[in-house]
Amino acid sequence: MQVSSARTIGKERTGEWIGRLIENAEVVAPTAAQAGDVIFRKISSPVEVQWGSDNPLFPPKQVVLPQTDPLVTISRGADGLVVEPVYDERPRVLFGVHSCDVKGIDFLTRMHAYDLADTAYLRRAAALTSVSVACITPCPLGFCICCDAGPFLAESFDVQLTDLGDRFLAEVGSEKGGRLVEPSADLFRTAEAGEVARRHELEEAAKRAFGPETCHFASAMRRVSVGRVSAELWDEIAGTCLECGACNFVCPTCYCFSVKDQGRDGHWVRCRTWDSCQFRAFTREASGHNPREAHRERVKRRFFHKVSAQYFRRDGAVGCVGCGRCVKVCLGTTDMPAVVAAIRKGAWHG
Amino acid sequence: MDNLFLPRVARIAAVRDETPDTKTFDLVLRDGGERRDFTFVPGQFMELSVFGIGEAPFCFASSPTRAECIQTTVRRTGLLTDAMHKLAAGDEVGLRGPCGNGFDVAAATGKDLLFIGGGIGLPPLRGLIWNVLDERDRFDKVTILYGARTPTDLVYKGELDEWARRGDVELHVTVDRGEAGWTGNVGMVPTLFDRTELRPATTLAYVCGPPVMIKFVVQDLLMRGFSPDSVISTLERMMQCGVGKCNHCCIGHRYVCRDGPVFTYRQIREMTE
Repeated sequence: MQVSSARTIGKERTGEWIGRLIENAEVVAPTAAQAGDVIFRKISSPVEVQWGSDNPLFPPKQVVLPQTDPLVTISRGADGLVVEPVYDERPRVLFGVHSCDVKGIDFLTRMHAYDLADTAYLRRAAALTSVSVACITPCPLGFCICCDAGPFLAESFDVQLTDLGDRFLAEVGSEKGGRLVEPSADLFRTAEAGEVARRHELEEAAKRAFGPETCHFASAMRRVSVGRVSAELWDEIAGTCLECGACNFVCPTCYCFSVKDQGRDGHWVRCRTWDSCQFRAFTREASGHNPREAHRERVKRRFFHKVSAQYFRRDGAVGCVGCGRCVKVCLGTTDMPAVVAAIRKGAWHG
Repeated sequence: MDNLFLPRVARIAAVRDETPDTKTFDLVLRDGGERRDFTFVPGQFMELSVFGIGEAPFCFASSPTRAECIQTTVRRTGLLTDAMHKLAAGDEVGLRGPCGNGFDVAAATGKDLLFIGGGIGLPPLRGLIWNVLDERDRFDKVTILYGARTPTDLVYKGELDEWARRGDVELHVTVDRGEAGWTGNVGMVPTLFDRTELRPATTLAYVCGPPVMIKFVVQDLLMRGFSPDSVISTLERMMQCGVGKCNHCCIGHRYVCRDGPVFTYRQIREMTE
């Protein structure tokens, strides 16, 4: 980060800035929901933003990859069926997300650009700009530091805010990010050297605040990549997995899907819907044959895709941003850190 | 195509019964420009949809050397194939593709070719077989071994007769169980190996059929001196997108829909997950 590119904005002025963003885009932010829950949704007023909350249970991936995502419309015309692509290029701002979720969307965008470009996804993602808040204290279940996904970001962000007490330091990381800050230059001022130095102190302190036991991917990767995890261990891990798919649905980097037609009588919408590699039907063929009939094969598949060297080489990262959501959501404790530890140690301790 | 999920519309030109549960569909793209520009290689597949029901992958059963229509042969096994079997000439379906890598026809030039099909595994080979027969001078000896459960389950019966009559093709057909009037071979596909002269050093073997057949055929071929590089198969997996995104068809980090569906036995053996 160049000192000259950093600015600050007083906290009392952030409301006005968000208000201006709302005028020009759909702004999605963490908001208060029922029973103390925090969820990402579209806001119509700056006061709805829940500052300083832990990660909402559902990541913001639905902004770029809706759970049900219309891809093609099909209707009857005079000369037969008419098929048309569906694109969603509404300008959106994802405001107040944490570093891990920015990295999650960055991962998804790379996956959809890899090999054949998925324009339906990419056009929606291109219209999205994020304003993230760096984490000055690790969240209770997070291990982003093991995944190069936090607590602060050095790349992949559009605008990154750091809480300096009565003001935020704002770093612009992309042209898209610049377009959120430049029109509101009157609300910002150039950061002083001391403010930038304070940001780096906060980052170092945040990194030191992680516990010694987080998630040691490297040794798990070595074993998973060459198939050196015993069937018995996968069986044991599978024994406590409930096959609910929750880990997939709350994961910022999971994007497996199925394609279904909705509607009837000549008015159909072909949709992509989230799917889970933990479901038995995920690989069941029409003949009834299923290459992953055994539960252990499905659990193994999840972690091969997430942490194998083969995928690491292809994707440039493990398929995990250390957000801790699978730890929170899994009733069977087969979350990422627990399974990585089991693979590394060769034993399952639940 | 700009959008990976946008199907073209194809009209069904004809439907033929192959067996009591298998039909062959002749498809023609509705748009003249799309029809002219459409190309594929044998071994690739297409995603066919019956709108409102869904979409699934099917092999090209015809050869690109015969461009008048696209053919596919479909066994009725589930919701979508059931809906397809109810369609008739003039009905419209969605067609995406071609998907996947296909057979490397150029690499087969000058070689002996051995096609080994089981049951509904013959359609993916049929596209390549006709491609080879239409350019017969480019290849050396051509042998086709085909087996099905019963004589009724044999697909392309008319073409089997035609291949049997040709002097430039050696064809052997077998069934697991005979029926009244069947005078041909009875036995599993590998029993046909002793009826032909195998030349492992100069032959590429194309194997397609149910998993259990592939297993025994490949074992047999390797024992008879074939190299894992010269045994070629097409794999099947549950697929949704056909374009390497949805992750249903992965084996390890390989995507059957993008890296395949055609693999050599060496590649198949080296897959880890």
